[in-house]
Amino acid sequence: MAKYLLKRLFHGILCVIVVVMLIMIMIYSLLDRNLIFASDTVYNHQQNNQKITYKYQKWEDYGYLDYVPYSDYLYDLTVSGEIDEETRQSAVSLGRTADKDSELVKEYIEKFENKYKAQGYTIERLNAVMMGKRKIANGGQQQLFAYKDIPLINRLWRYFAGIFKIDNINEIENDVGDRGISFTLYDPVYGGKKFSPAIIGNGTRHKYLLYCDNTFPFIHQNMLTINLGTSYSVNMGIDVFTTMTRTQGSYVASMITYPTGLEEESADDLHSATYLADSLHSSLIYESRYIDDYTSVDTVKSGLSKMGYSFLIGIIATVLAYLIGVPLGIAMSRKKDKLLDKIGTFYIVFIIAVPSLAYIFLFKAIGGKMGLPTTFDMDTANRLVYVLPIISLALPQVANLMKWLRRYMIDQMNSDYVKFARAGGLSEKEIFSKHILKNASIPIIHGIPASVLGCLTGAIITERVYVVPGAGNLLTEAINKYDNGVIVGVSLFYAILSVVAIILGDVLMSMVDPRISFSSKER
Amino acid sequence: MNVDFKHGHVSVDMTDLKEPDLTEGMSDEELFSVINHSDLESEKITAPRYSYWQSVFRVFFRKKINIVMLSLLGLIVLMAYLYPIFVEYDKFGNLLNASAKHLTPKAAIDKFGFSIHWLLGAGAAGQSTFDAIWYGSQISISLALIVALINMTVGVLVGAIWGFSKKVDNVMMIVYNIIANLPYILVISVMVMIFSAGFWTMVFAMTITGWLMIAYFIRTQVVIIRDREYNLASRCLGTSTIRIAMKNILPFMTSIVVTLAATEIPSYISYEVFLAYIGMGLKEMSLGRLIFEAESAMLTPGWGFEFWSPVAVASIITIVLYVVGQNLGDASDPRTHM
Repeated sequence: MAKYLLKRLFHGILCVIVVVMLIMIMIYSLLDRNLIFASDTVYNHQQNNQKITYKYQKWEDYGYLDYVPYSDYLYDLTVSGEIDEETRQSAVSLGRTADKDSELVKEYIEKFENKYKAQGYTIERLNAVMMGKRKIANGGQQQLFAYKDIPLINRLWRYFAGIFKIDNINEIENDVGDRGISFTLYDPVYGGKKFSPAIIGNGTRHKYLLYCDNTFPFIHQNMLTINLGTSYSVNMGIDVFTTMTRTQGSYVASMITYPTGLEEESADDLHSATYLADSLHSSLIYESRYIDDYTSVDTVKSGLSKMGYSFLIGIIATVLAYLIGVPLGIAMSRKKDKLLDKIGTFYIVFIIAVPSLAYIFLFKAIGGKMGLPTTFDMDTANRLVYVLPIISLALPQVANLMKWLRRYMIDQMNSDYVKFARAGGLSEKEIFSKHILKNASIPIIHGIPASVLGCLTGAIITERVYVVPGAGNLLTEAINKYDNGVIVGVSLFYAILSVVAIILGDVLMSMVDPRISFSSKER
Repeated sequence: MNVDFKHGHVSVDMTDLKEPDLTEGMSDEELFSVINHSDLESEKITAPRYSYWQSVFRVFFRKKINIVMLSLLGLIVLMAYLYPIFVEYDKFGNLLNASAKHLTPKAAIDKFGFSIHWLLGAGAAGQSTFDAIWYGSQISISLALIVALINMTVGVLVGAIWGFSKKVDNVMMIVYNIIANLPYILVISVMVMIFSAGFWTMVFAMTITGWLMIAYFIRTQVVIIRDREYNLASRCLGTSTIRIAMKNILPFMTSIVVTLAATEIPSYISYEVFLAYIGMGLKEMSLGRLIFEAESAMLTPGWGFEFWSPVAVASIITIVLYVVGQNLGDASDPRTHM
């Protein structure tokens, strides 16, 4: 069994990798790169050479290519100590055209070209655009840069290698003093008096590697982080997984003790502190609060995360759907061709045939007439805002469950063992509850993990219609904003969920039905 | 005993009856007459004439609801395809007329005088909602029919081969697992961005992976009946695979294919509406696009008509198509022909 499941999981992972590869081909190779500038006002205001370099910069940001301007190359040389600041300043001033370069500049340009040509880069030099004899046109300064498209395999490798990141004490390259990990029983965030174990690192990206607090699941870790891809236009610089799981809403301020001992009313979540180079002395506020460069903190917010809202609404709707749909489906099959069956069938046809958009709007209009809130508000204490989204999600699921359960039950009703049971004198009630239902519910049980995990991805239309800040619209938003990182990340998340859901469904099914076995030799 | 249905009487072979003669005094017409036994005749099986498609339609029209639904469908199709030919529709014809926008049917009729155009009021640009709906229906129905035709043809053919050959099955299962995990919205939007959001792009985008789901469904059905006893018997008797496919399996699949088409065609209309709503739909004024553009009018008092009319028409089209298709699917199952 375990071996079989491992094999299935392995196949699933292979599939997921191919899916990511196909998506990368689609969005990086098939799509026109210039599309991202369609609604970029900065781009439209720029001219001449500046516009070209801006274009390449953006392409690097969106992950299309590697782009190295000549000045960055010189800066790197200075940082590594190969040349001094003075040489850099004289080497960086390019001539308006190649033959006007000074000897020093020529020398470094040659080094630059040799280095990047060897790595497969294309070197581009743009001569200055002149408006007269001496005056350079707007944005027409001379430019020199190297660029290289990222090959698919590299891109794929970089992506999968970066998904799981384990924090270690050599993570930060800058000088941070004594690197190491310390264990404390009295977390300094709580003033150092309350018993609360924590592991604190220095030299790691996160300050708190392990800590306890009073929110579920009470013990939290920052050692292993998941990076599904960095967002660019949807949520600048933030990882997709963080975008989905970070809390939203208004700030919740509480009295907290900063590392310097300063006590202040603030919404900062000190447990989320990450390293930000040279930040301590960049502002007086930081100096008054922190004692090291671990100053980048999240804030505590009142709402749930995108995924949290989607899951909360989704899971309630799913549970409701099973509670309503299963008994109704059973009742329909028992009263086949009677009034109840006909009403139920009418309802099923309605849900299947009518466009989902239409009946969700219908629910919204009816709910609005009944005085229920039709737009979601994170900050309100009114629990009624959840009612309409939950109903809109649950009712189609009820129809689906009814349809399939009725179908399976009726199929079972005609089978020989039922006739035999009836001939043996069992009561109809017994036959239905002990024989037919058990057999008919197996395919239904197979679908439970998929519907539970499906709640994590959210619902596109429902969340849009009721303005729920959930995860359902992340993919469409990313597509509309050409945010390639988010598209890849969200698709990977969906693919993993569906692979896991199918495997879990099979496991659950084999647990319920002892006749199903995955370890037998025929398989 | 020979039972002759054609003449409606039963004739019994009387040669070995040696009963006392009771027939005295009866005329020849009243008496049973002796029919000569023929070995050749007794081999013939007489059964009522059976034509598959005739029986399908006989069963289909036995339900009165089907006649109603079919005439409704005919009306909708006629309106969608003939109305735009005879009526000129200019969306921006009343654009400059500020008092012609967002009118209820009553206000529109009061303003422009009674005509069929203003039965459903006027929209955001002062256009006739009634005209817009039929132009939109034509695009939506055409899209759904063409996409369904392509997907069903490719899907059924591939699915049949997929179900029959174990080698093809191994390859196709991998392809299926991969393609099924590609978000459908992403595929469509990438296609829309590569080309333009035109009608044929949308057809291409909806068919490029859409056929695979149908092929998978058909494959499962083929696998289920492929190894049934009657096919095994057929194979043992030496029937060729092609003949088994054509004569044993295809008739069984007809009702499944019709039922599948009945769910697919409405689902493409719904999907087009969905895509338009999330901003990835056609640039032509299809029903989905109409709903998308009139969304803001939904809750505004008095503007409801321009939003609810396309929603209602889209729903009616999909329900009618679904019911007709489902019942046609039921009727095309030979087991209902008794």
